[in-house]
Amino acid sequence: MKLAYYPGCVARATGKEYEISTRSVCSALGIELEEIDDWNCCGATHVSNELVAVGLAARNLARTELPVMTGCSICYSKLRSAVLRLEDNGVKRKVNSVLEREYTGAEVKHLIEVIMEVLEGADDGVIASLEGLKVAPYYGCLLTRPCGGIDSPENPAVLEKLLRTLGAEPVDFRLKMKCCGGPIFMTEEAAASDTAFKILECAKESGADAIMVVCPLCHLMLDANQHAMEKKFGAEIDLPVLYVTQLTGLALGLGVEELGMGMNSVSPAPVLEKLEAARGAEEEEGEVC
Amino acid sequence: MNEFTKEVLRLAGDEVKTCIQCGTCSASCPTAHLMDNSIRKLVKFVLEGMKDEALNSRSIWLCTSCLACTVRCPRGIRPMAVVSALKQIYEAEGMRNRDSIHEEIFNRHIKERGRVSEFFLSAEYMLRNPQSAAQIISFGAELIPRGKIDIEIRPDSIEGRDEVKRIFEELGGA
Repeated sequence: MKLAYYPGCVARATGKEYEISTRSVCSALGIELEEIDDWNCCGATHVSNELVAVGLAARNLARTELPVMTGCSICYSKLRSAVLRLEDNGVKRKVNSVLEREYTGAEVKHLIEVIMEVLEGADDGVIASLEGLKVAPYYGCLLTRPCGGIDSPENPAVLEKLLRTLGAEPVDFRLKMKCCGGPIFMTEEAAASDTAFKILECAKESGADAIMVVCPLCHLMLDANQHAMEKKFGAEIDLPVLYVTQLTGLALGLGVEELGMGMNSVSPAPVLEKLEAARGAEEEEGEVC
Repeated sequence: MNEFTKEVLRLAGDEVKTCIQCGTCSASCPTAHLMDNSIRKLVKFVLEGMKDEALNSRSIWLCTSCLACTVRCPRGIRPMAVVSALKQIYEAEGMRNRDSIHEEIFNRHIKERGRVSEFFLSAEYMLRNPQSAAQIISFGAELIPRGKIDIEIRPDSIEGRDEVKRIFEELGGA
């Protein structure tokens, strides 16, 4: 499978381990990624002028003939929203009057869709399994919004399905759809942390060994900011936050370096130990038989 | 209908007029409990032409753009688009606060270089809003040793920056 890859700005900075693990997992699954040449920022949640936001997305989409894949939920939502707006011929004409390459239509996919597609078609032997691991699937806001994307914006199940495919156990996670507050973290820290900390507490109460995220901004809020929030709110969380690609990579038997796991703020060591113990027990069992 | 109402409807869609004030948007909003005026109330201000009340609401800047309101509105209104319209009018009126300064820097960086560098965005924001220094420095202390933020000397630009600039100039005025 060959796809156009839109990394997004964060993949080159605070989301580096997402990019590293995305490339490793795609390579292991036989997905060829062709990075969109000279791509520009999608504008994220900070470009209030709608037509400018559509124009920024359209420039990226017009630069390839292939389906476009991204791992960032914000980029995914912005690219998808633009495709919907560009169905209006008036909007398309205006946008194309500025672009060097004409936008004629595009297909946008989130990395999860692509991983699921490949895993569902693969032999059972591909996956080493995450058996024994309890994971809180965190959707955040923009993976499923606006409507019409990867899954229902009210009651999605795609991440639970993926976790089961990997052999892990998805826990019931009440706040899985609540926004992490990331987009306003820089300017409204108190409000953003208030929101993010509730999500961490909820994941902790659910009995999960780790949280799985699908967006670099969610990761920043729940992982990089976790220690600061523990101090601020005076409560211990100590819950590893792993990217979907890091968990998929572990299930595929990839090494921690290939998955950028040394970059996570909250140490993923307890997750690795639990997996190792489960695999060790399995081997022992095999020997007895 | 006053000019302010007309401008918001032009930017956010005519369907805003059909709001029945049910409050589904506010009930779905993750930061509603921290807002002075709820999103439902902002829509009411817009429809009543209450420009000062709308533009001076802190709520505009507490919106995380999560679209929960937008997927749930029973009238098919996009309340988040109302917030975006209010941000644009706020800036066009020459009003400034720490939140609008951040938006202004973010947009300018894309316009000039095509991409956003988290390092330069944070650095410029810290200079323009020194109160944010402690937060940004402590976050940097967490991220830089992990190799997640490179200390850059000069920000990178994409080849197509002139095209991106035209997107802002020609589509932004429309």
